[in-house]
Amino acid sequence: MALDDPRATPPPDDPAAREADAARLIGDERLPCGRLVSHAWEQARAAGDQPDPHMDGCAFCRQAVEGLTALDSTTRTLWAERPSARTVADRVMRAVRAEVRLGRMLPLDDPTRELRIAETAAAKVLRRAADRVPGVRAASCRLTPAEGSTRVTIAMTLAVTLDRPLPGRAAEVRRAVAHAAEQELGLAVSTIDLRIASVLEPLKPTASDEPTLRDGSGR
Amino acid sequence: MGETGDDLRDLDNGLLVARAAEGDDDAFAVLVQRHSGPLLALAYHMLGNLSDAEEAVQDALISAWRRLPEFRGDASFRTWMYRIVTNRCLNVRRGRAPSVSLDAVSEPAAHDAGGEPARAVESAAAAAALTQALRDLHPAQRACWVLRELHGLSYEEIAHVVGESEQTVRGRLFRARRTLMKEMASWR
Repeated sequence: MALDDPRATPPPDDPAAREADAARLIGDERLPCGRLVSHAWEQARAAGDQPDPHMDGCAFCRQAVEGLTALDSTTRTLWAERPSARTVADRVMRAVRAEVRLGRMLPLDDPTRELRIAETAAAKVLRRAADRVPGVRAASCRLTPAEGSTRVTIAMTLAVTLDRPLPGRAAEVRRAVAHAAEQELGLAVSTIDLRIASVLEPLKPTASDEPTLRDGSGR
Repeated sequence: MGETGDDLRDLDNGLLVARAAEGDDDAFAVLVQRHSGPLLALAYHMLGNLSDAEEAVQDALISAWRRLPEFRGDASFRTWMYRIVTNRCLNVRRGRAPSVSLDAVSEPAAHDAGGEPARAVESAAAAAALTQALRDLHPAQRACWVLRELHGLSYEEIAHVVGESEQTVRGRLFRARRTLMKEMASWR
């Protein structure tokens, strides 16, 4: 568990001076027997693997670790209390979807110049078009209308796998995005600016697993 | 919309955040699905009350949706969300008279323990005792302890979440552990 973080306490063989510094750093306390409280905790946890004669005979240390086992096992009970978040997630998404965020409005390629589409809606369609190219996932997608015309510039950042050469893949994305922009949305595209911003691990069929929160290394 | 949400599930947080920040609500839905469980557990452990916890997480996620365009990504999305939820929980508690409603939670399964092994009853009672002890901690200490022991965050992440130095976090954790151990000393 968390107390065994190596930074929390110095190794047992460290000189006393080093221990004192560490004590000051973490707000630790020195017992009358000379040991740090955190050291006593660590020893108590490691007792099974490395017996510690000092600990066995020291009343101060024994007192300092009273409650440690009970705390550890009860912490695991609290850890398991994970209420279902389904209601919360549903409520949040209802509120989010109801909150219209249109972004700027873009002209469609329409002679009357009366039709417009929200940037957010168009970007969603174009990202999906890029996503359909194998080994590609879209990140950002911004659309900028040219002044005085209905033409639109598309700027997109991508994450891609490196199992195929990038130029060919970029050309594929360009085709897919242009097709969606013109055929699905009816935009007049002037340029499509693609940037590869990150590398994807080759996509696995079900790669949605997040690193577990417990190991503390998850993003 | 269900089908479109499904194929976003293999995206990492960074890509989803980039998309959601530009108003892609489907991408945000995946983030919500992925993070609302741990965030609700965090708020529940902080507040000790499910409906308060749900409200805190709901508000935090909606405010995150609005603030995503300003999210610079120098912390992970998870840490950022932990920070928003933790702050909200600390504010909820500050704005309220102490000792509301936590008792309902800390009342353990002891009552309906008919036929259960004595150990289960005892561990439920110990959990109630720990819940009570947590509730009595200074909120800033409780936040550090919960983030570390129940959510596995590193000292560095906790420092970021609570907006303090790692040294301060270590000090708070030490004091929280010492207090909780004292409280648990009778449960062996």
